Amino acid sequence: MDRRHFIKNSLLLTGSVFFNLNNLLPESGIPELVLVKNGNPEQMTIKAIELLGGIKRFINKEDVVFIKPNMSWDRSVEYAANTHPLIVKAAIEACFSAGAKKVIVADRTCQEARRCYRNSGIQEVAKKAGATVLFVRENQFVSVSIPEGEVLKSWEFYRPALEADKYINIPILKHHNLAGLTIGLKNIMGILGGNRGRIHRDFNRKIVDLNRVIKPTLTIIDATRILTAHGPSGGNLKDVTKAQTIIAGTDRVLTEAWAVRIFGADPSDFPFIKLAHSAGMGKSDTKKHKPLTYTFQK
Amino acid sequence: MNHKNLIILRKTIQIIFFLIFILTIAVAVYPFKAYFFTKLFLIIDPLNAIGTQTATGYFNPIMLLSLPFLLSPILFGRAFCGWICPLGTTIDLTDNILNKRHIKTIKTRRVKYFLLILFLLLSILGFQLFWLLDPLPIIWRSFAIIIFPIVYALVYGFVELFINVGILPDFFSRVNEAISNTFFSPHPPTASGIFLPLVIFLLILSGSFISKRFWCKNLCPLGALLGIIARWSLLRRHVVTSQCTACSLCDQTCKMDAIYDDFTSTNTSECIICLNCTTTCPTDSTEFKFSPPTKVKQEANLTRRSLIFAGIISLLGAGFLKLTAKGKENDRLIRPPGAVTEEDFNDLCIRCGECIRVCSTSGGCLQPGITGMGIAGLMTPRADYHLGYCEYECNLCGQICPTEAIQKLKLKEKKRYKMGTAIIQKDRCIPYRLNDNCIVCEEHCPIPEKAIKLDEKKIFSSFYNSEIIVKYPYVIPELCIGCGICENKCPVEGEPGIIVIKEGEERIKI
Repeated sequence: MDRRHFIKNSLLLTGSVFFNLNNLLPESGIPELVLVKNGNPEQMTIKAIELLGGIKRFINKEDVVFIKPNMSWDRSVEYAANTHPLIVKAAIEACFSAGAKKVIVADRTCQEARRCYRNSGIQEVAKKAGATVLFVRENQFVSVSIPEGEVLKSWEFYRPALEADKYINIPILKHHNLAGLTIGLKNIMGILGGNRGRIHRDFNRKIVDLNRVIKPTLTIIDATRILTAHGPSGGNLKDVTKAQTIIAGTDRVLTEAWAVRIFGADPSDFPFIKLAHSAGMGKSDTKKHKPLTYTFQK
Repeated sequence: MNHKNLIILRKTIQIIFFLIFILTIAVAVYPFKAYFFTKLFLIIDPLNAIGTQTATGYFNPIMLLSLPFLLSPILFGRAFCGWICPLGTTIDLTDNILNKRHIKTIKTRRVKYFLLILFLLLSILGFQLFWLLDPLPIIWRSFAIIIFPIVYALVYGFVELFINVGILPDFFSRVNEAISNTFFSPHPPTASGIFLPLVIFLLILSGSFISKRFWCKNLCPLGALLGIIARWSLLRRHVVTSQCTACSLCDQTCKMDAIYDDFTSTNTSECIICLNCTTTCPTDSTEFKFSPPTKVKQEANLTRRSLIFAGIISLLGAGFLKLTAKGKENDRLIRPPGAVTEEDFNDLCIRCGECIRVCSTSGGCLQPGITGMGIAGLMTPRADYHLGYCEYECNLCGQICPTEAIQKLKLKEKKRYKMGTAIIQKDRCIPYRLNDNCIVCEEHCPIPEKAIKLDEKKIFSSFYNSEIIVKYPYVIPELCIGCGICENKCPVEGEPGIIVIKEGEERIKI
């Protein structure tokens, strides 16, 4: 998964997308997965939601929406450690345009919360867009039992995330030394309480168990720029590659698998994707299930 | 203006300065910008200037600001104590609540001069101990690291509780959130070393049980210093002798026991110009005005015997402090980034708690140290990686330190500044102990190149009943800056699998 490999793969992918993806809609007519390229993050998000059938497909009037970006690190936008703020902004605005009552943005950060919220740039744009930006506080965790859990039978979850009507997951695609890549399924760590480091042991099965608790209404994966090494915190611009891509969909496993392909890796190398698939969370075969692709012209 | 209005004015000014003081603490929080304002009450303190600079020989130009303050008693006597000092105002408040019977303390008030001389001598011998009794650092740290967190935790908690049970409308949740996000970290501050500062603060306030302004009269070394100069104060109490009926009411209301037995002459070294005596005078014959000092018998502040005594105590004390000096052998004593060398650090640090208040990591990495730093190092800030860690992108402690015990570092310098080195405890670390993956320390390491690297080995795991690749962490000491996030985030419960020791720490020589 070095940079050269990555660029080669993404070029190949772009090519394949360019040649055979005019109107690759599933039978129902509304796609479950879209891939938008080459626009600015805000444009691409708006387009992705539009291609998925519009925000009203997901958000009803008076809904309380919980948006979970990845803003775990005290790094600015260009370091690709946090979700791009403009994607979060576009998502919030879309929710409000569908009549959402309240949009909550929160993440349990790895570094000091005020620094992460501020320096990721997300707090500012989210507040401007009218969202309620909450710091994740210790007293807001509730214990949730996971009856189908294979290795985890219960864990503490962030209450506002559980209580919201809709849950939009907006992770960023980046390198991680344990999971290989950290994308959407691992993004659930940001609404967990307790000693999260303990999840790392037997990570693949645990992360799938934790994902049994919340099913995102919509997953938007930020691959506008990708951290290819020294993740998940990064800090070196040499490790950041531009990809100008957004993957969005309703199937959290399929979006995950396609993000892996964007990175230039094979989804079948990632046990948590396989496990999530066999747990019935979604499809994982990227050869069978292709996205509807839209490329902005320069 | 009549006398009553003047007292109202004095009280108003006391409240205003107290609020300004509270504001200097409130603004000392990330994202911090009020560099100068927040140090205001500490850089004007002549004891800080004299103590730190005599003990270390380090000249800090900002401390020149204490000079006008030091000379102010020539004009206004000890008006600072009565009108401005936040500790004085706090004591006035506790006096009002706790003091039932005012017992005069005339004989013991010499103690404060003794303490002043003793601490001055100790400073000359190279040990700055004013932090123990200097009112301004005491009140700063007492509010910043004890009262603020406690009040915050109580108010925040109760408002949340009242909202949850429906006593308060939801709207207050937003107010609560806004206030707490502006002045506090969203993670409630935790404190490992506030016991000693708390005891000192409570002892000072408990003087109210005995006598009004007990602390100011008997112990305060700053009061003593101002008092010496206030002897020649131009602003002083005047009584029209012919009208005085010797009713003693002024003497009874005097908080400072500054009125002599003849009721007309005043000890200006003690008088804090609170003006209370002007309103209680039934013949209205008392007022304060500017006039040259008259020749009034002043009691001797210190006898020669007690001076010699102070000299002996200071020598013994200095020897004792030298003997109990610690820190070198304590390899877990991590100092804030930019700290000067250990001995100078203990002398420059006035234990004001500014760095502890501003420290921006969750829960606060800097804590006043109690054990393992010797007596000369008591209550100096140390990094406690159980409670927090040093934020990679943060250099606030150096920006805020009023005495430059923590030197200012540019963010770029701070990110390379080595506070210590992480070492892996292989008997606790999960990969080494259980042959399973963890990488939490590596994941959190903020160094762009990662100071923690992973060694991959293929092993057969009986836990998974298959062959797996285990990533074993190891530290590159040359890259590690000892920020402690690895120690703080290590998922091993109790003693972590990776700890930071002092090895390789940088200290700034002054």
